[in-house]
Amino acid sequence: MRQYGNRASLARVLVVAVAAGVAASPARAQDGVIRIGITLRMVVENGLKYGQLAKEQLEQVNAAGGINGKKVEVILLDDECKPDKGIANVNRFIHQHKVHLVLGSTCSSVSLPMVDVTAKEEVPQIVPHSTNANITKKGSAWVFRTSVSERFYAAIHAKYLSEHAGKKVAYLYTTDGAAIGFAKDYMAFMRKTYQIEPLYEAQMQETDLDFRSHLLKIKSLNPEVLAIGGQLDAIARITQQALEVGIASRVRRVAASAASNAPVPELAGDAVVGLIFAAAFSCKDERPVAQQFVKMVQQTYKVRCPDHDFSQAYETAQLVKLALQTAKLELTEASLKADRAAIRDALANIKNYSGLASGPISFCADPTPQCRDGNRTGILVEYTKGGKDYDMNVLARVGFDADFGL
Amino acid sequence: MKRTETSELTNTAVPRRDAGVDGRKPHRGLAWIGAGALLLPLPLALSNAYSQFVVNVILINIILAVGLNIVKGFAGQVTVGHMALAAIGAYASAVFSTKLGLSFWAALPAAMLLAGLAGAMVGVPSFRLEGAYLALATLGLAESVRIVISGTDWLGAAIGYEGIPPPTIGGFVFASHRSYYYIAMPLAMLGLYVSFSILSSDVGRAFKAVREDPLAAAASGVNVRKYKLIAFVLSALYAGCAGSLQAHMAPGFLHPNSYTITEMVTLLLMVVLGGIGHIWGGVIGAIIVTLIDDLTRDYYQYRMVMFGSVIVLTVMFLPRGLGGLIDDVLVRRRFRAIRARSLELAQAADREKS
Repeated sequence: MRQYGNRASLARVLVVAVAAGVAASPARAQDGVIRIGITLRMVVENGLKYGQLAKEQLEQVNAAGGINGKKVEVILLDDECKPDKGIANVNRFIHQHKVHLVLGSTCSSVSLPMVDVTAKEEVPQIVPHSTNANITKKGSAWVFRTSVSERFYAAIHAKYLSEHAGKKVAYLYTTDGAAIGFAKDYMAFMRKTYQIEPLYEAQMQETDLDFRSHLLKIKSLNPEVLAIGGQLDAIARITQQALEVGIASRVRRVAASAASNAPVPELAGDAVVGLIFAAAFSCKDERPVAQQFVKMVQQTYKVRCPDHDFSQAYETAQLVKLALQTAKLELTEASLKADRAAIRDALANIKNYSGLASGPISFCADPTPQCRDGNRTGILVEYTKGGKDYDMNVLARVGFDADFGL
Repeated sequence: MKRTETSELTNTAVPRRDAGVDGRKPHRGLAWIGAGALLLPLPLALSNAYSQFVVNVILINIILAVGLNIVKGFAGQVTVGHMALAAIGAYASAVFSTKLGLSFWAALPAAMLLAGLAGAMVGVPSFRLEGAYLALATLGLAESVRIVISGTDWLGAAIGYEGIPPPTIGGFVFASHRSYYYIAMPLAMLGLYVSFSILSSDVGRAFKAVREDPLAAAASGVNVRKYKLIAFVLSALYAGCAGSLQAHMAPGFLHPNSYTITEMVTLLLMVVLGGIGHIWGGVIGAIIVTLIDDLTRDYYQYRMVMFGSVIVLTVMFLPRGLGGLIDDVLVRRRFRAIRARSLELAQAADREKS
């Protein structure tokens, strides 16, 4: 009887908890407040910090009285790099929180369907991290991107390596979207520019741990470049295992932009020396604005060398604040549609913004990649030291025309 | 139709508990149509389109949970490949509608059939495998389906499959969450009705016999292999239906990451929390787990801890789920009613004697 009573109590607790949660769902959106929804992949290395950085940068204005006297409210959610979660988050932002702007996401596979939702509901969306070229090719008038599109990234390292290392490239990459994009774009560039086919190509699973069999085959083919696509743990493993199987250090190794994340040099150790990657920002950037940012991240988020996901989250928040300053907002329930359009137009009017990005960021009104891929400058970085106190060196800074790669 | 049943105590014919005033039992389908009619105006009661979106997700999860309950709850087969069957249904429906130009109304049954075929393939190992071994075999299928999709360019690979059109009738497009409810809700109701019909049929009884003791079932003339296979196929048809609904719901995007082992564990939680073998348990579990998933979204750092706690507490205190608890309540109530009736009969007999 007692056991039955316990179980009944637990069931009651469950039902009451769910009912209380439903009842406690956010109340009606408040007038006079600018609402921004952020959805990112949070529960990964530094993921929470990217989200917190963007949120804190936006809410910082409230201490000084807000933007044009209007407070900013930020709702931050995790999408776990899963499209269904991202779609749920963006629907929640738009219909429940009545946000004026959506900021997200990290993974391209999440940002892509989000673009369809924000375009249909006519809500401005700014993409801080995703690199897939199709995000801005969908023709949405509501999407903007501050991260560098992969159509630019591919050309940076492909051109550099073709001229400085060679054209015999072996590709080893995993099945995540960014890795596939990195490898395919590199291959496409080599085919288009030099009519050269891959020396070797293999795709493995994200969860694979041993890449040695492929690396041994690659070694026997004497490549000039080894292209590594994957998330940070895969890049670190492949880099280390390439050294283990005896691929000579004269074979240049190039990796997807995830190589900029701190765990890669920390996990791979000295095997990472000589690994190059294209990114949007390096903590070795000597400009005062960059060093000031690095110092702030070191102090606030305890990260020694912030990668470009930190800089892009920060940059996106600054661009949003800039747009909100110039947009004429009424911030009532009736004006929600007009306010969203005003923020979109204000974002489209941003020209030659100079911040942490290696070049200026400019948007314009047309719903085309030329107008909406705002950051068209990438840098090429090489690791010079591995381990906990890793170091790097910027090899090149490359800017592109708006219609490059289209 | 029998209008009477035998009393447990007096062994005499008494009117059936579910008989109408004139002793005739109303057709069960009428009750379902009535329930469907009651649910029709639900979208009007929801405060915003997001609530409607969550309701649609709940309905799809109900179809998944009720389908899983057939193979796991009714037939007692341990499977962790149900989400893979949903993925097959989802991608099949997407391919049929985008590449072959089929409408949703043709793509849905075609996807269900394909998922059913895949379900039959999953069911074959169950002839020789049981328990953890069967779970491992179905886990292998689940992972292989996801990996094949991740590496297949024409299925969108790891980028995702885009541009799946919403259902249409004439010129009307079911693109909004509110309108999609009128596709998902009737299908969920139909799924529930079919599930109840299976449970009360010879097939349902054969499933239970296989679940309780396959050897005894075989000795009693039940074709164990046949009924295991039927359970897997029926369950896969539900998964295919849910997958197709996922595919065509706005914005019409599919990704292999939506069919990982995490999603499978969440689905199992729905069935376990609701009560394995209880159809309504699957419904209650789908509602509660979907709502917990949604309500804990703001606490993303602690979400998995909360989910884990619900699983542990359920296994510890509600091993038969909420459905088991409801069963207990019903049994107690019935026991009290029987005791009261027997007391009444005894008193009546005493009065007659005196």
